[in-house]
Amino acid sequence: MSKVKAIGEAVSRIDGLLKVTGAANYAMDFPVSGAAYGYLVKSEIAAGKIIDIDTSQAEKAPGVLTVVTHKNALKTKPSRAVRGGAMLQDTEVNFFGQNVGVVVAETFEQARAAARLVKVRYEKAAPKADFETVKKQAVKPKDREDKIHGDVEKALAAADVKVDEVYNTPIEHHQPMAPHATLAVWEADDKLTIYNESQVVNGVQGAVAGVFGLKPENVRVVTPHIGGGFGSKGGAWGHVVVAAIAAKIAKRPVKLALTRQMMVNSVGLRQRNEQRIRLGATKDGKLIALSHETTTHGAINEEFVEPCGDVSEHMYDAENLRVAYRIAPMNVIIPTYTRAPGKSTGSFALESAIDELAYKLKIDPVEFRIKNEPAKDPADGKPWSSRSLVQALRRGAEVFGWNARKMEPRSNRRGDFWIGYGVGCGTYPARQRDTSAIVKLTRAGNDVAASVELAASDLGTGTYTILAQTAAETLGIPIAKVGIKIGDSSLPPAAGSVGSVGASSFANAVYEGCLKALEELQAKTNRQWFAAPTVTQLMEAANLTEFQTRVDAKPLPDAQKYSSHSFNANFAEVWVNDATGMARVKRIVAANAAGRILNPKTADSQVIGGAIWGIGQALSEESILDPRFGNFVTRSFADYHVPSNLDVGEIKTIFVEEEDKFVNKLGVKGLGEVGIVGVAGAIANAIFNATGKRVRDLPITPDKLL
Amino acid sequence: MADEFEDSGAEQLTADEEALLTDFPELGELGEARRRFLGQAASLGLGAFAVHLLAQEQILAEVKPDANAVFAPAAEENAVAVSMKINGAQKSLTLDSRVTLLDALREKLGLTGSKKGCDHGQCGACTVIVGGRRVLSCLTLAAQCEGQEVTTIEGLANGDTLHPMQAAFIKHDGFQCGYCTPGQICSAVALLQEAKNGEASYVSDNIRQKPRATKLSDDEIRERMSGNLCRCGAYPNILAAIREVHTGEERAATWEFYREEKGDATV
Amino acid sequence: MRPFKYSRATDAVSAAKAVAANKEAAFLAGGTNILDLMKEDVARPSELVDISRLALMQIRNAKNGGISIGALAKNTDTANHPLIRQNYPLLSQAILAGASGQIRNMASNGGNLMQRTRCQYFYDVAMPCNKREPGSGCGALEGINRMHAIFGWSDKCIAVHPSDMCVALAALDAVVKVQDAAGKERAIPFADFHRLPGDLPQADNTLNPGEIITAIEIPPNKLAARSYYLKVRDRASYAFALVSVAAGLETDGNKIKSARIAMGGVAHKPWRATEAEKYLAGKDATDANFVEAANAEMKNARSFEHNKFKIELGRRAIVRALSMAMNNKA
Repeated sequence: MSKVKAIGEAVSRIDGLLKVTGAANYAMDFPVSGAAYGYLVKSEIAAGKIIDIDTSQAEKAPGVLTVVTHKNALKTKPSRAVRGGAMLQDTEVNFFGQNVGVVVAETFEQARAAARLVKVRYEKAAPKADFETVKKQAVKPKDREDKIHGDVEKALAAADVKVDEVYNTPIEHHQPMAPHATLAVWEADDKLTIYNESQVVNGVQGAVAGVFGLKPENVRVVTPHIGGGFGSKGGAWGHVVVAAIAAKIAKRPVKLALTRQMMVNSVGLRQRNEQRIRLGATKDGKLIALSHETTTHGAINEEFVEPCGDVSEHMYDAENLRVAYRIAPMNVIIPTYTRAPGKSTGSFALESAIDELAYKLKIDPVEFRIKNEPAKDPADGKPWSSRSLVQALRRGAEVFGWNARKMEPRSNRRGDFWIGYGVGCGTYPARQRDTSAIVKLTRAGNDVAASVELAASDLGTGTYTILAQTAAETLGIPIAKVGIKIGDSSLPPAAGSVGSVGASSFANAVYEGCLKALEELQAKTNRQWFAAPTVTQLMEAANLTEFQTRVDAKPLPDAQKYSSHSFNANFAEVWVNDATGMARVKRIVAANAAGRILNPKTADSQVIGGAIWGIGQALSEESILDPRFGNFVTRSFADYHVPSNLDVGEIKTIFVEEEDKFVNKLGVKGLGEVGIVGVAGAIANAIFNATGKRVRDLPITPDKLL
Repeated sequence: MADEFEDSGAEQLTADEEALLTDFPELGELGEARRRFLGQAASLGLGAFAVHLLAQEQILAEVKPDANAVFAPAAEENAVAVSMKINGAQKSLTLDSRVTLLDALREKLGLTGSKKGCDHGQCGACTVIVGGRRVLSCLTLAAQCEGQEVTTIEGLANGDTLHPMQAAFIKHDGFQCGYCTPGQICSAVALLQEAKNGEASYVSDNIRQKPRATKLSDDEIRERMSGNLCRCGAYPNILAAIREVHTGEERAATWEFYREEKGDATV
Repeated sequence: MRPFKYSRATDAVSAAKAVAANKEAAFLAGGTNILDLMKEDVARPSELVDISRLALMQIRNAKNGGISIGALAKNTDTANHPLIRQNYPLLSQAILAGASGQIRNMASNGGNLMQRTRCQYFYDVAMPCNKREPGSGCGALEGINRMHAIFGWSDKCIAVHPSDMCVALAALDAVVKVQDAAGKERAIPFADFHRLPGDLPQADNTLNPGEIITAIEIPPNKLAARSYYLKVRDRASYAFALVSVAAGLETDGNKIKSARIAMGGVAHKPWRATEAEKYLAGKDATDANFVEAANAEMKNARSFEHNKFKIELGRRAIVRALSMAMNNKA
């Protein structure tokens, strides 16, 4: 077989040309003719009931085609698959900014203006929107038992050195650059196409089909490009269904985009967490007790727990372990998966506490972590399929120049700045999910081209590119001869780009599909090959110009016997202005051990992106509720501060090489989430090292460093 | 849509475009900008995939209107006539006074490269170049652009050749999801001119100096690009792309692979 | 955004006439604030008079030796004008601290003076706000008031003025030149241009209906060698100020002849720190004196539940801005 080396190469994104020329189609870019424009009407109370909605003024406004409210909306089947509800089905209001209507007009301007004319009368109830109050009612979540190994209380009592602190993380929002938007087109009475940026293509398809009682194959989700998601575009939210209802009533394709201000109340959020961490160690630095208790909130009728304690189950060897959650209802939209759910916020708490403990023990925090490295997974005793945290810590420290760190806080000063070094580690599970794919081959003379088709998605992760690389190398043809079709639910079902399962699930399916194609072709040639034949030779020998096969790839049967996680070690240098308290991350070294790297260029971008999310989480991101009204006062990019270009210094990625034979066939572990985990902790620890101030409440804004 | 404006910039199809249209007749329905892009895609080699993808997307978007569809009477409230040059072609439009330049480009002219990220001047995704300067098209009324020259992401390439900034963004992976990218690139292109003009920034340490062309430091570029938010976090790569075009010096990738010398890293 | 009539003005007087004739009319210059507010349904003009092309863009030396800056000159052109960079670097720096390159290319100087507060209760029409809807109450008073005023507020309104440029103009004793529909001109000292909220929080400034800003004049000064604009914010760039300080010192050796200090992010108008200025006059430029001056100013500050930090931050910002100015960091 001809050798094509493509997997692991730093190939530039094959969809890059579309993106730099403005030609890539996001949901609102499809040139569907005859589309009308929808504009949502949102509730202005957080709890209570709609008494009446007066749509008469709006209906009379120029260009208005229809106004849809609970009074005239199609009745949908109840569904938890459409997250957050808000499908205009009843009069109950459970959070501020809940969808209560939609105006459809000929133009965007007309719809927006008319939406202001819809008058809603409410029966207002007092909202549960003050976390400090609602947390007192927190109870054990329905689906989560406390996890207890050994006896934490006894071990803590016996420990030489202890840490017992509470760490707070605020509500955060995903804020993808493309606001959620749906273009809904009814092709027939029972046949719907939605252009909707979807991380889980088949998931959105199933959810929408379910509420309308349609066969899944009658709902087509089209999403070739996704303008960011980070978990918020994982499932369908109420507005997706509202767009389809509006399109049905208006008998027109309807474009419905959320405004940036609507985003805070429409597509989930990362919930507020209060984490109490208790650590106990012997005086020579052996961790003997670890307790991680998280108190949080869900929505009013539904629980969602971000698993903050997960990190404590896997990171360090503590014989006595307790991980617990408590949750209370609150009048906000249901929280949802947000980049490295639980692990990022949980690692801030755990890695801060570990740093505090290391300081008390006067042990270098890198060495402390290495000292407490577990030989097998503390959570379940399974062997690691691979774990290279120690290598990541050692190499990261070396590249970063950790040995120049002064242990004593507030001892490194340059000009007006206190300078600090900090380290924080992270982990995220590596998994493969069922994914099918079709591999199509066409031959013209001795020129073979491939098309690979599956309902996968690319939200900037590089799916297109890594799949083309995988197919090219496996088939032995140039990347330019590979076409990739994804982002369409009519293709073979695939896992989603969520939970870091995308790369492993998609790439392994494509790999297996290409191998299967070669095997089947070889069988068709009816002869024995003494040297591995090329795909061209095979097709010629079989006298085929076209061939296709389908694979239904599944995780390795033995994968469950191992514990598979990506790990990282992050090192941050932070400068804090001594007068203003403004902190700036000058540089980060992120050493990641994540199995096989399919493309270092796109993988590097994933790590950098994760680190920048960590910077935002550490220093500036916070969604603030006014407890009196239950609304967010931070509704815009002027109030919710995602990092700007100047907030980000140098970021260097180290890929610690791993050959993991157990996690999946390609040995891919995934990088989408792990990149953020541990970063906020590293930054907070650096700020302590710089200033001597231990800030346990994120974000660390200037006021907290005065 | 097509009857809403006159197009005085009659276009000639290149040989590449002709060839593409033979292979993908459905592309004939595409707007001017996309056809031009296809020409580039074909001539650049790496674009075969992009062409196929675009062809797929175009087919996906072919929808037959519902026979019972209702249309409201077209009432242009407070109609304003405006004519401007967009990417070199003269366009005359009659628009509701409320239409922003961004919505005119996207909804009336089919130039959907400029993106709506916030619609309130807080993210930069809608950045275009008007009269040689970068501005936010979401906070510009189309009516204000009478007689202006507008360049959007679709107009940056020179025929079949990408603008060096576009090529540098691909090379340095200056994007992930790609949604902020058109705004980033328009902003970066205008920034080069601002540096030539000697314009200062808040991080400049020589405010009192007479304006003269300056070679920008990394922090200067970061500050000047801070009006373009990128949620995926491509900033270091955006910086690398701009820096390379600005200085002409190649920027190497910064990642490294590490394998421990003794002992296997894996269990 | 509600429907509005759009017209393009040909001269300042006819523009002023058009706006004076319709109390729901507004001027449109750069558009960076009013279009934002219209999309939020906070501003609801029935008519926009586009003045952006009027011949009010000149930046030139004034007869009194100072400088005259056209109201419709763009922020970018103002900040980068050689005369301003050379002689009024404080103004350049303040402008460059605000917004983004794109917005500064669009925003006019007059429009910068007319910017409305970024108070989140003002911006959200679902919330009470006396400035937006007189009599509806102040949402911020007992709400999330982290970004709000510590000086000069009333129980009707605790919003702050969002401009950076105006903080420098306040320190530089600028004069705002305006013209009414009859073509009559008047000059408003900068300190009198913006208002404190009092019982009339809906009024940001002292302009009469239909009056149009034509120019901003800055008298000559000897501050160019020692001035600095310091902005403290929640992220490194592209964010409104928590606190900002414009400082300029006229010195004789190490002796301060006069100090000019104004603050942003602390009041309904750019806040001239007169107590600090008084303290410094005639004193040595030492850190100890800067601290005393800052204390003198900040002792009158009154904070709310979430913005107590602004008192300490303001104190530190004054000290740091003065020391940066003394070290000629502009």
